[in-house]
Amino acid sequence: MNIINQFLLSVKHFSGLLLPITVAVVWEFMSRQGDAYTYIFVPLSQIGSGFVELIQSGELLINLVATLQTTVIGLVIGGFAGLFVGGLMAVSPLANKLIGPLYHTLRQVPLLGLIPLIALWFGNDLFSKILIVSLAAFYPIVLNTFEGMRGVEHKYVEVASVLKFNRLQLLIHVLLPAATPSIMTGLMHALAFAWVSTVGSELLFSTGPGVGGLMLMAQESSRMDIVIVAVVSIGLTGLLMNASLSHLRQYLLRWRSVR
Amino acid sequence: MNFSIKNGTPVIAWLLVGLAFMFGLLTDANADPAKEVRIATVAYNVNGKIGFNGTAAIVEEQGWLKEELKKQGVTLTWVPVTAQSVGVTINEGFANKSIDFAGYGDLPSIILNSGGIETRIVVPGGRGNNVYLVVPPNSTAKTLADLKGKRIALHRGRPWEIAFARYVAASGFKFSDFKISNLNPGAGAAALAAGNVDAFVTLSDAYQLEDKKVGKIIWSTKSAAQDWKMRAELWGAKDFIAQNPAITQIIATAYVRAVYWTSQEEHLDDYLKIANQNGQPENVFRREYSNDSVPWKIRWSPLFDDLVLDHYANVAQYSRQANLIRKDVNTKQLFDARFLNAAIKELKLEGYWQPRKVALKGA
Amino acid sequence: MTKIRDLANSLHTNALFFVSPILLLLAWAWVCSAGIFPEQILVSPAGVYQTAHELWGSGELQSHLHDSLYRLVLGFAIGSLLGLVFGVLMGLFKPIDAFFAPSFNALRQVPTIAFIPMLVMIFGVEETFKIVVVAKAAFFPITMATYDAVKGIPRSYFEVSKVYQLSHLSLVRHVILPATVPPILTGLRLALGRSWMVLVAAELIAADSGIGQMMEMGRQMFRIDIVLVGVLVTGLIGFLLDRSLRSVETHLGRWKQS
Repeated sequence: MNIINQFLLSVKHFSGLLLPITVAVVWEFMSRQGDAYTYIFVPLSQIGSGFVELIQSGELLINLVATLQTTVIGLVIGGFAGLFVGGLMAVSPLANKLIGPLYHTLRQVPLLGLIPLIALWFGNDLFSKILIVSLAAFYPIVLNTFEGMRGVEHKYVEVASVLKFNRLQLLIHVLLPAATPSIMTGLMHALAFAWVSTVGSELLFSTGPGVGGLMLMAQESSRMDIVIVAVVSIGLTGLLMNASLSHLRQYLLRWRSVR
Repeated sequence: MNFSIKNGTPVIAWLLVGLAFMFGLLTDANADPAKEVRIATVAYNVNGKIGFNGTAAIVEEQGWLKEELKKQGVTLTWVPVTAQSVGVTINEGFANKSIDFAGYGDLPSIILNSGGIETRIVVPGGRGNNVYLVVPPNSTAKTLADLKGKRIALHRGRPWEIAFARYVAASGFKFSDFKISNLNPGAGAAALAAGNVDAFVTLSDAYQLEDKKVGKIIWSTKSAAQDWKMRAELWGAKDFIAQNPAITQIIATAYVRAVYWTSQEEHLDDYLKIANQNGQPENVFRREYSNDSVPWKIRWSPLFDDLVLDHYANVAQYSRQANLIRKDVNTKQLFDARFLNAAIKELKLEGYWQPRKVALKGA
Repeated sequence: MTKIRDLANSLHTNALFFVSPILLLLAWAWVCSAGIFPEQILVSPAGVYQTAHELWGSGELQSHLHDSLYRLVLGFAIGSLLGLVFGVLMGLFKPIDAFFAPSFNALRQVPTIAFIPMLVMIFGVEETFKIVVVAKAAFFPITMATYDAVKGIPRSYFEVSKVYQLSHLSLVRHVILPATVPPILTGLRLALGRSWMVLVAAELIAADSGIGQMMEMGRQMFRIDIVLVGVLVTGLIGFLLDRSLRSVETHLGRWKQS
């Protein structure tokens, strides 16, 4: 009985892997159906060799690093700008009334649709890409900073006014720490947006190194294997960044009791 | 909840200061003689290294331009442009003044000038390149007529549109007789290979498609009149040329030097090594130039002759008709032959090339 | 008396909402008339309006809008339907969850945009490709929202329904739906916004019609005014889509007891 139970348990454990394995098997089967099929259903071995090829030529690493760089720089710039504007809107009703509507209307425009304009105004290079990524990161952080600071419990604000804090002290010593959970959530979103818009802007700007550019070139040369490797790398890198940020967030918020 | 600041004015004041500062950064006020000249050219990114094609590669390789400019205290900066969107990138570069010269093609430059940004041809780029119509390898289409109503991948606003348009007109059709898909060359090639389009208009990379067995060439400008080929020249911003004639002259002379070197048959193999950095195999390049009625030397003639003039008049006319541009362009204004003529004289190349006459009729 | 004051107040706050956008518009018009940037780089509001007028008059704008919206609606419908079903199944039945979860989470990590080259290679550049892109963009967030919503139903609800011996249909109608509809609606709204963005991006890259393609063609013809019209229209549509779903949310939320 025990063995059967153990077997069933392990089946359940590994059932998650069933789907990917089945897909892989079907994929390999399709790739052997004929020449025309190998165009899309690239044999697994070729994907493997494509991967090795990219690693050996260093292409994968160079491009991934370039994309990461763009994302990180954009995230930092957009993040700080977002913190600044969000904080501003939280402490100044005038700023809130002026900037708020602008923010909500401009947010609606798909960022990647702005690329033709940004390319014209700022050029077709790294600067424009970083601009787009910063914008993508900016929006969620503004929102979350603002909401986080506004949601601060009134008693803290009262204490601050009793202690005669000026605005800056209020901001730094009360609002910022209290809003940190919300800001961290905003940061997670900003990371996702930044990553997506980096890849997207690479696909649309098509200049300079980056995994987006790598995929485009692979698509043009009809190398599905490289496209697949690139897609997988994008997914994995995104996952890694997400996980690291998640850990950072847990670390920063460790003083918070779980509600 | 409301933590209003008693006095919000300083905040607003700082915001306005910041905006004004950014404003100042964006506006361009530059009337001094240039310390840097930026030439845009098609470049390819292979393994992180940037490589040029064509005459620009030769110019860079010869190094003469860089040296001469350095003597004037001017730095030479090449601005790489991806082949997927040459016209757009360079037009925007001229418009926002981030480039001074560019090697690119006929239709985008007409579009730019029609839009009000003025550029001039400084050195014509030789005979031009062939345009090919490619179909999937198992397609039964043999002529354009067989493609009626079918889907054709054609990147609009690019030089090859003109050649293709002439073929369409000469065959008695209109663009509306087909389903034209505005795909960039990369996407078009992929679409052809996947069988998602029934034809694809492109340049010599058509041979690569044939080699990979994903395409079959059914027409090219090789079988058409000489001036059907797509053209690319060295263009310069009109304002820059007016303000920096000396620099412009140096550039023109450098290009003529490069082209003279290339035009000598014994340099063909070296040319292939230096100027073919887009990852295309050598044999593709050779096939592009084979079976063509034009001898190697003549292909590189940089003269402002009837061929060039007529070609541009045609392009402007077609663009207007096809509603690609809204304002007519006076093509005669586009040619600034001073620098070329001075370069020819300086390099003692008078008579090396003969001005060409336009061919009598189309295909 | 207070009613009038309330009205005045709400008018005041609503009007204030428009202050900065109007200021921006005025600043834009002023910059253009001052000629600080050449007309090709910054088209004036008047110019944009005129181009929009032309495009509308020639029917071009409508035709592009129609194509884009058609793809959005179809793709979103497919994606959200699949997402809802999937989310419910995965939320309710642990084995299904275990079976699909790893693959699902792995695929979710890849931004939809990154799939575009692959999808172009597989589906080509016709309608199918764009609809698949939209469906994919909608599927993952909606599945997640549904899954979370279903998982969020307190156990007690199920126990109560067992006590009352509710039929499955009743269970769904009176327990599951009210508890899950609000978060699912929010998920739908967010997914719709994202799908719209992805569609525009896909059309920019590979299409022969649609708002994105209109913008790209404008760019190739050096008609920045057309590009601007496209930007404004996409923003407007995004805004309208968001607003309409938001009002559905508030409307449906009225009968929900918190």
